[in-house]
Amino acid sequence: MAMSRDEIFGEVQEVLVDALGVDDDEVTAEAILMGDLGAESIDFLDIVFRLEKTFEMKIPREELFPAESLMNNPDFVKDGKLTETGLTELRNKMPYIELGDFANDPDINKLGDLFTVNTIVSYVDSKLNAA
Amino acid sequence: MAETMRFILIDKIVSLESGKEIRAVKNVSLAEEYLADHFPTFPVLPGVLLLEGMIESASWLVREAENFAHSMILLSEARNVKYKSFLAPGGQIEYTVEARTIEENISSFTGIGVSDDERIVEAKFGLRHFNLADENPSMAAVDAKVIENMKKRWKMLSSG
Repeated sequence: MAMSRDEIFGEVQEVLVDALGVDDDEVTAEAILMGDLGAESIDFLDIVFRLEKTFEMKIPREELFPAESLMNNPDFVKDGKLTETGLTELRNKMPYIELGDFANDPDINKLGDLFTVNTIVSYVDSKLNAA
Repeated sequence: MAETMRFILIDKIVSLESGKEIRAVKNVSLAEEYLADHFPTFPVLPGVLLLEGMIESASWLVREAENFAHSMILLSEARNVKYKSFLAPGGQIEYTVEARTIEENISSFTGIGVSDDERIVEAKFGLRHFNLADENPSMAAVDAKVIENMKKRWKMLSSG
């Protein structure tokens, strides 16, 4: 099933409107899931479940939102920031996002800012269109 | 019974302008049970509980304004909720909640929670307030008991 990025975005938008109870005009490509759309822990489970149903794919635990495995491992986090090992792990787990300024100051409190609507769209795109 | 379940997500009311604005604080302690799982090596207050503290703050604004007329004060809707930053043990969050309107059975608010100059949570939300006896007159005694408990809790939260 080859879907264009726009088509994927449309479906992801609907998933987020249903999961988070927000209006569709709030769900822009750059919207941050926690910071703009109010997603929190329970919501991430719901989002993954709905994405699996919508796109008929399996999303292994922690594959889309690796935050928990990152934050739980003392090798990856020190003094409230990701260590070099942690940053490498993040890059490996989420090769489709731009770390940008986060790499310079990997403050754990700002990790959530990386999880945007685009993050989900890119993830679905990479999985659907994988060889 | 409400008095045995210790579900209180604010520690102290620091200021109140009747019918208009309330400020309350919550100190996060490593001893809070739910932090054991959220998350094991990175404890942070769950988003829903950050929102709960804000809702509790607003409910005290209503109780004080309506002189404890209603036993039940519940969330009716929350919009534009945003979780901007994490709140960890050792931290203190100060909620500032402003009333947009407080009517007899409904009210609406905007609220923000800040810790150490960092925005933690924001939301717009509405509450509804009523007595159980409104639907079921035999519940009047339960309403009275709940109101009595809320008055006691008010004394604890707003003293000093």
